[in-house]
Parts: sequence; C-alpha cells; structure tokens
Amino acid sequence: MSDDYEFARLPLASLRPGTTVLVTGSAHVGARNLGLQMLSGPPSEGAILISTNHRAGRIADDWARSGFELVEDRAAILDCVGDEETDVPAQVMPVSGPSDLTGIGMRYSDVYRTFTEAGVERVRTGLFSVSTLLSFGDLKTVSRFVHTLSGRIDAVDGIGVFYIDPGMHDDQTVSTVTQFCSARIDVRETETGQELRARGIPGQSREWIDFDVRTE
Amino acid sequence: MILCVDPDAAARERTVVALADAGFDVEHAGSLADARDVLADGASLDCLVTEYDLGDGTGLELAEDVRGHSPDAACVLFTTTSLDDVDTGTFGALVAEYVAKQGEDRGELLGLVEHALAFRSQTAYPLPDDEGARVAALEQYATDPAELGESLDRLTVIATELFDATAAAVGIIDAHSQEFLSCHGIAFEPMAREDTTCTYAILDADVTVVEDVWEDPRFADNEALDAAGVRFYASAPLVTPDDQAIGTFCIYDDEPRAFADRDRELLSMLGEEAMQQLTLRSRVSADGGDDDE
Repeated sequence: MSDDYEFARLPLASLRPGTTVLVTGSAHVGARNLGLQMLSGPPSEGAILISTNHRAGRIADDWARSGFELVEDRAAILDCVGDEETDVPAQVMPVSGPSDLTGIGMRYSDVYRTFTEAGVERVRTGLFSVSTLLSFGDLKTVSRFVHTLSGRIDAVDGIGVFYIDPGMHDDQTVSTVTQFCSARIDVRETETGQELRARGIPGQSREWIDFDVRTE
Repeated sequence: MILCVDPDAAARERTVVALADAGFDVEHAGSLADARDVLADGASLDCLVTEYDLGDGTGLELAEDVRGHSPDAACVLFTTTSLDDVDTGTFGALVAEYVAKQGEDRGELLGLVEHALAFRSQTAYPLPDDEGARVAALEQYATDPAELGESLDRLTVIATELFDATAAAVGIIDAHSQEFLSCHGIAFEPMAREDTTCTYAILDADVTVVEDVWEDPRFADNEALDAAGVRFYASAPLVTPDDQAIGTFCIYDDEPRAFADRDRELLSMLGEEAMQQLTLRSRVSADGGDDDE
C-alpha cells in the first residue's frame, strides 16, 4: 500500500499507518540505533522523539548519525532531562521530567498540532525509552501512558517506535507493554553482528535476520 | 456519558452541541464544584472534556477525581490556556489528552473523543483484540448471580478442596469491572477492571498462574488483593462457543505456591464446566423469553 511507512536501509517490511512497534534489546546491541533509524523517514515526513534519559543535544547527535537530517520544521524532541538547547536543528520542547507523563503526553499533542498546521501530515513518533518511564513510575501508570500514546498515533495514522531494554524488567512487565503495541521487534547480538526478529508485521519474516544500522 | 466542563458558557454550549450532534450523551458543568456534583450523582463516566482554569480549581484536579470515580474514563483537557501555564508536574501520573481550544472549531476534539471512546485507549490495562465483540457476547450471559448461585457455588467449593486452596471464585469481566457470580472462602465486591488479576488472565487462552502476587509487577501494589490476603492466584478463562473470554474460574491462596501441570488441567476442566453452566442458563432464559411472547 502506498500509504505505508517505509524503512529504506533496513530489512523491514513497510508498516501500515497506525502501527506502534516495540523495539526490545539492550542499547549496546544496537536496538536503540535501530529504533532511531526507523524514525528517520523521507523529507516529506515529520518525526517526534520523546527522549526520557538523554539531553536533546546528545540524542540529536545519535539520530543524525543514524542518517537522519534533522530540520526544525519536521523534527521535534521532547526533552525530559535537560534545559532547552538552542543549537539543535529541531524543535526542542522541555518536559519537567520522566515522571511527568501527563506533561509528556500534552507536549506531544501540542507539537503534533504544529506539524499539522505546517502541512506535515505523516509523523513518526519515538519513545526512548519505556524503560526510563518504568524506573520513575509504576507499571499501571506507564501502561496508561503507553496505551494513550499508541492510541493517539493510531488516531492520526502515524507510526510509533517505542524502545524498551528487557534486561531492566521482568517478563510480565515487558509482556504487558508489548500488549499495547501492534508489533514487536527483538534485537540480539551474534558472533557475526546484529539480528532482529519481528512479530506482528504483515509481510515480514518471523525468523532472526541480520541487519546493519548506520552509525556514521 | 461525557462530562463537559467549561466556565465560558458560550464555548461550553458549542462543545456540548458538537458532542451531542455526534450522538454522545453529554452532561455539562461550569465549575469544578458543579462538576463534582455531577460525579456525586454516581453515573459512570466514559469521558471528561474540560477547560483548565475552572475558576474554583483546575481541570487536572477534576480529571483526578474522575479517574477515582470512573477509572477507565478518557480525560481530555480542551483549553485556551497555553501549555506553559498548565501545571502538569503535580499530576504527572494522571495521563490525559490535550487539545488547544481555538475559536469555534470542535473538529479535532471530536475526532479525538470518538477514537478514544471507540478504542478505549486510555485504560491502564491491555484489552483483548476484539474487546467490542467480547463485551457484546457477555450480554447474553449476564444473568442474575442469585439464579446461578447454586451450580457455580458447588464448583467453587469443589475447587477449593481439590487444590487445597483458601478460596475459589467465578468472575465475569464486563466493560469496566469484574463481578463475581460465586465466591467460596473469600468475599469480593465488584472491582474496577484495572485492579483485578483476571483482567490480564482473559488475554491468555491458557491457565494463568501467579505464584507470588507480591513478586508480580502488575499486582504488587494492588490493595484489593492485599486486603483479601491473596498471595497466589491461578485461573482458567471462561470461553464462549464463539471464542470470547468473558470471565474466569479462579483459585486463591494466602501463601505463594507452585501449580503442577495436572492442576492446570483440572482447573481448565472446572472453567469449562462453569462456562457450560452459564451457556445452559442463557439458553434456558432465552427459551423462557420466547415463551413470554
């Protein structure tokens, strides 16, 4: 379908609008980089990244290294850590902290509106990471937040890429968060490199496959 | 029901008309105190649409009350107040939607409310894939617990003895709460869905076992389970012939414990037996309905 969101340099089938994917794996095996690259669409699309544990400047650098060209009118970072930084080529919106889920959700809606008003209709949303939210709030509260955000993404025909490090949580927590997402990608490291395995993505193999994310 | 709260009477009227025209049942109020009076009347709320500055308090204070009253309610701040002037930090765990109120436009609000209610996307727990059909299926089984009591009571007595457990229960999960058709060794009042173990159990076609409730992040802070002295939980889903899980057959213990494969099989059988009782009762009452016509 022509409306699908594509992933140019990744071995991933395109995603139907409204899909939220949970990317799981530890940061050092490249799961976070995979997530950043999934957020990096063509110039006609916008992207909103909720950064819970890295300052806007740091995550903007990581994002740029994944091959994304940050431009203020189509990239926004909701920064739950630092103060507003002016040298980042994106709209940077401060949130009081990763425990202020109400503030994060409302800022998100507000930024999304500015995109729509600027004519950016297709938006990819990143949440990096659910793990940080869980270390500041209980599972029930984070569940409501993740459910509400994935519902919002579905309502506006965007896509969501939420990252969680399963090593930081027990199985029930990861499984509960997974249930709010329509698809899941697990990432692992092997002797030869990195592999991903997808669930819930039509047209995508359910086997482990090699992938390589650009980090330069 | 949707509660619409806005001190600006003209703006409120516009919002109420837009929501009512879309087919929603709408109540309205002009202040925090008036909105609290509506809540005190007891009717369950599906959605709150509120301004931020209510004169005698804020929309977020009200949203917090609404969640205490109707935990699944979608809350939407529909406001002219800039986000920079909204104190979200104090209400960080609330989680609500935000729509800027700009002039007479109600389109964005309406789209958001319709989606939030159709998909119930502000619940604090995951929903089965086909929740709408599940709740619809439930209607034909929602019979009077008193009428069913005896047959299910026998099963909960048997289960308690069979598994050497402290209690057993048969619960039905409707859109927002769990009601118990039979309890043995424990007395449960209806519980909000976000507080029950069974809310998670109906997502699984197999028997669910929580060996130690205190060690499970989904239930570790659950006051209702704690008050009832529940440490161990196991349940089999009650699945209709159309494959909808409408409730559970549960057993409880006051100590953490393991649950063998054979125990799982036996609990499944008890679940199937309870479901069969419910199915038979629904057929009998459907036939009775025909006779009356």
